[in-house]
Amino acid sequence: MSKRRTLDVSGLPPYDISSQSPLFWGQVLMCLIEGSLLCMLIATYFYLRLSVDVWPGPGVHLPGLTLSSWALLPLVVSCVGSYLASEAAKKNSRSGMLLGLGLNLGLAIVFLVLRGIVWNSLNFTWASDAHGSIVWTILFLHSYDIVADMLMTAVLIVIIASGRYGPRQRIGVHVDSVLWYFLVGIWIPLYGVLFWAPRIIGGGR
Amino acid sequence: MNPAIQSMWHASGSNAGHIRELAVFFGILLGTIFVIVVGLALFSIGRRHRGIQQEPLEGSHLPSARTETRLRTVVGVATGLTVLILFGLTVVSVSVGKIVSASIAPAGSLMIEVTGTQWWWKVRYASDDPSRTLQTANEIHIPVGQSVAIRGNSDDVIHSFWVPSLQGKRDLIPGRPTLEWLQADRPGEYRGQCAEFCGLQHAHMAFWVIAESPDQFSAWMDHQLRPAVEPTDDENKRGQVIFLKSACVFCHTIRGTDAAAQAGPDLTHFGSRKTIAAGTLSNTKGNLAGWIADPQNIKPGTHMATVPIQTAEMQPLIDYLESLK
Amino acid sequence: MTPAASEPHAYADLDLLRQTWSSKRGLFGWLSSINHQEIGRRYIVTAFFFLLLGGIEALLMRLQLAKPENTFLAASRYNQIFTLHGTTMMFLFAVPVMEGMGIYLVPLMVGTRNVAFPRLNAFGYWMYLAGGLFLYSCAFFNMIPDAGWFAYAPLSGPQFSPGKGVDVWAQMITFTEVSALCVAVELVVTILKMRAPGMSLNRMPMFCWSMLVQSFMIIFAMPAVMIASTVFLLNDRTLGTHFVNPAEGGDPLLYQHVFWFFGHPEVYIIFLPALGMVSSIIETHTRRQVFGYPALVLSLVGNGFIAFGLWVHHMFATGLPQIGEAYFTAASMMIAITSGVQIFCWLATLWSGRLKVTAAVHFVFGFIFIFVMGGMTGVMLASIPLDLQAHDTFFVVAHFHYVLIGGALFPLFGGFHYWFPKFTGRMMDERLGKLSFWILFVGFNSTFFPMHWLGMLGMTRRVYTYIPGLGWDHANLAATVGAFVILLGGIIFIANVLRSRGSGARAGSDPWEASTLEWETESPPAPYNFPNLPVVTSRTPLWTAQAERPLVVGVREDRREILITAVLDAEPHHRSVQPRPSLWPMLTALGFSIGLAGSIFAFSWYYVASVLGLIGLIGWFWPERPLEVDQ
Repeated sequence: MSKRRTLDVSGLPPYDISSQSPLFWGQVLMCLIEGSLLCMLIATYFYLRLSVDVWPGPGVHLPGLTLSSWALLPLVVSCVGSYLASEAAKKNSRSGMLLGLGLNLGLAIVFLVLRGIVWNSLNFTWASDAHGSIVWTILFLHSYDIVADMLMTAVLIVIIASGRYGPRQRIGVHVDSVLWYFLVGIWIPLYGVLFWAPRIIGGGR
Repeated sequence: MNPAIQSMWHASGSNAGHIRELAVFFGILLGTIFVIVVGLALFSIGRRHRGIQQEPLEGSHLPSARTETRLRTVVGVATGLTVLILFGLTVVSVSVGKIVSASIAPAGSLMIEVTGTQWWWKVRYASDDPSRTLQTANEIHIPVGQSVAIRGNSDDVIHSFWVPSLQGKRDLIPGRPTLEWLQADRPGEYRGQCAEFCGLQHAHMAFWVIAESPDQFSAWMDHQLRPAVEPTDDENKRGQVIFLKSACVFCHTIRGTDAAAQAGPDLTHFGSRKTIAAGTLSNTKGNLAGWIADPQNIKPGTHMATVPIQTAEMQPLIDYLESLK
Repeated sequence: MTPAASEPHAYADLDLLRQTWSSKRGLFGWLSSINHQEIGRRYIVTAFFFLLLGGIEALLMRLQLAKPENTFLAASRYNQIFTLHGTTMMFLFAVPVMEGMGIYLVPLMVGTRNVAFPRLNAFGYWMYLAGGLFLYSCAFFNMIPDAGWFAYAPLSGPQFSPGKGVDVWAQMITFTEVSALCVAVELVVTILKMRAPGMSLNRMPMFCWSMLVQSFMIIFAMPAVMIASTVFLLNDRTLGTHFVNPAEGGDPLLYQHVFWFFGHPEVYIIFLPALGMVSSIIETHTRRQVFGYPALVLSLVGNGFIAFGLWVHHMFATGLPQIGEAYFTAASMMIAITSGVQIFCWLATLWSGRLKVTAAVHFVFGFIFIFVMGGMTGVMLASIPLDLQAHDTFFVVAHFHYVLIGGALFPLFGGFHYWFPKFTGRMMDERLGKLSFWILFVGFNSTFFPMHWLGMLGMTRRVYTYIPGLGWDHANLAATVGAFVILLGGIIFIANVLRSRGSGARAGSDPWEASTLEWETESPPAPYNFPNLPVVTSRTPLWTAQAERPLVVGVREDRREILITAVLDAEPHHRSVQPRPSLWPMLTALGFSIGLAGSIFAFSWYYVASVLGLIGLIGWFWPERPLEVDQ
């Protein structure tokens, strides 16, 4: 057997909790997918809006602005929890991760309750007219993603609390924060479209 | 039947004619390019057979720098030519399309509204004068040499109005009117067919465009505007009675009688039309009997009801309908 | 010559590696496998079954159209069959088979042991299989979709397509789309983060470039089809939403815009991997580095971008403003440039290389002939006036079969001939291969060339019959005969595959003396792919002297460890441990499938899908025993 030159990588760490980790990249791509979906829905909103004169249809009230705007507060602050958890994951601080994830989950619950109130107060359904269909769809899909991430956060809390975790789970905490930042970030333009755009463009009434 | 009546290749209208010329131009140019490309591929494959001295590659798995440079030049030139040709084709296409495929009809066009519905064509000749608006079905007459605007709509699903010998197609979309214009260069009978899948009987949704001299067209129009021919002999009178007391009146109009429903084709001058069931059968007494007796047999899924007509009543009914010239 | 890789290796413990990376045995092993070779092969075999089904549907259609006013198939049955044919070929064959080739070959070509997310890979396959079974099981319940593979509203809406058929179609798309997205995510990360040290992006094989671009296209295009089919159409049908229903503010054109925003990139998603295969085959068989690597890469990327800007050319007849439509004419013509550049580069390679004409090269020639003709008719269709005559006629049917079969299927079959020795350790029979090529080539052209003429003579698409006397009769008969010739060619091809598996000439690692890394492994490769991960110093590693190519040592062999490298220049960054085989991906797919299948009956089944899926995901991601504790 001929002798071959070698490249020794045993000195490299066996994991990495950063943007170089494959799981991080996978999560970013998932966010790209979800983002494409939600952007297409934004385009749909405007397509439907711009093909009629009256928007929404007669008798339909626009979604309430006040509570939905206040709801942004717990949503954005919950990112602090994600950030703390993520940094704690890099340092392998169990209490730090639990604190961060707990803060994130708690504020997310507050946000969800506020959203629930806003949603409940809508005087139209998905079957009322095109406006109703697109608003309910955007709210539902975004909420579904939020709830899914909250469940993921809850499972992570259980795993971290149990103490039975390794580097993979810490990467998971870091990656969970990426997803949360995305869901919060994408809500800003969605909120703008659902709550501000019809008020700015006007409904032709 | 002959191919020339439903063929973009046998263009008989000004728009179809321009499109055909464009097609020939594109076809020859692109066909030549195809032959060159495939020829080069074949030649490359055949080259080795002819024992052409080939450069040694083994070491670097690359031919000489000189060859690479030459190839680069050739590929570069080919790419440049491709860009130019495609740009040229785009410009030619857009300039032809501007007039030919426009959604605006030339001034002074005859205005016809066509509404697609599963699986036949409502035709309405619009006019500022209400006494000169004509409602008919499945057969459109136009004067030779005059532009005709076809304003399209649909009652149900998306259909497409296409008479290839005269013009390209235009979709008929519910809630979104469309428009195209066409013009026949010479008299003739041209067959069109629905060109957007519209359900079970999409295959049997055809129509006729009859181009005739302006005088013949005026005469046709004047005649069509009159109410239905009154039956003169007893057989036809009996047929009219049968028609008016059967379920036919729930869908069909015969102007001049009490039948005024709009769900099915207008039958006022039914006897003058070439075909039945939107181009499915030629308009003969035998075919008409078969159609009325069992529409589902001819066009399974059709919305035309199977109206029970007694055997004894069928002949007078058919005679009456065919008398509606 | 490279030494046979089965020799005991001085730098790796092959037994330990095999133990670490093998799948478990038996049914449990089969269900829990996360090995990319196994999953890639499953995709390919499953896709071939769907190709056969789609082919049978095509033959049934051709039998009905063989003569005018034929009564072989009733209108309703014909409409179901052409719907199934298009749906099967596009969603259940073409995309999955390319994904399968990618899953199998990419890790080997970039020099790693598996894809980035092995369990996700398994999950994606099960979702694909579930989608196909879901669609075809509908036949037993008389819920066969019949609104076409594209299902335009309002025809596909609740009023005009009552029953569950279109619902099945719409939800099946969710299955296949989830599957494709999983593969796309995995391939992007594998290609960008797991390449062999030294394999900077400009040294990556063309096939990997094509899979990379294709994967990004999937990520941006597939969400649109989910929106069109599930959010718009299925919800309009089952929940009473008003997206594409004109009666209440919806718009049928919205459906078309969103569907074709996906639909046009979709055909390039199918086509791009084939282009990568052509590069591979040509490079090896001409014994020279493929000409114009940077141009080829830029053209692929350009193809990927421009493909997203063409969709309205499917809608030229809808009466949209001409100014806007003209832009799409220009873009549709422009994409011929990126395709053309690639053809020119390949011609240059063929011209200047020492070409060895094998069966694979025959299929490449078939690709050039057929695809270029399809491309020419495509340029014609880009012109609005021409399209307004040819749209929705058999001219278009001819065009897209030329570009899809010529552009994707012929390279795929060439790729089979080329990579079969790697997959199975045996060579396919060259003579049978060439014979199958000629029969397929002649059959294909006999079937589809007359259709150009049929379209120009006024024959519209999606018609279950036609009247005699319009000059369509002979061409239709010829097309039907040709279809059976294709069948014959296909049978010979499959016979070649089956026979060669059992008794083909044995192949070593590298029977073609090729240039890329997959040819350094055993045939078929061991479960761990490479005894030592390779280091790469050129674009054509196997044509570079072994003395110049180091081996990676220091990656642990007692657990599933791989090497993560940097995106641009593939500098080693860290090691990473992959999860072990598991049933959970399959169970998660099962949970989602049950819920998605039920969702066409009631909305609450989405919640069932979510709960079952959540349980599956928890099991999937639950920390493994023993834990990977920090160092």
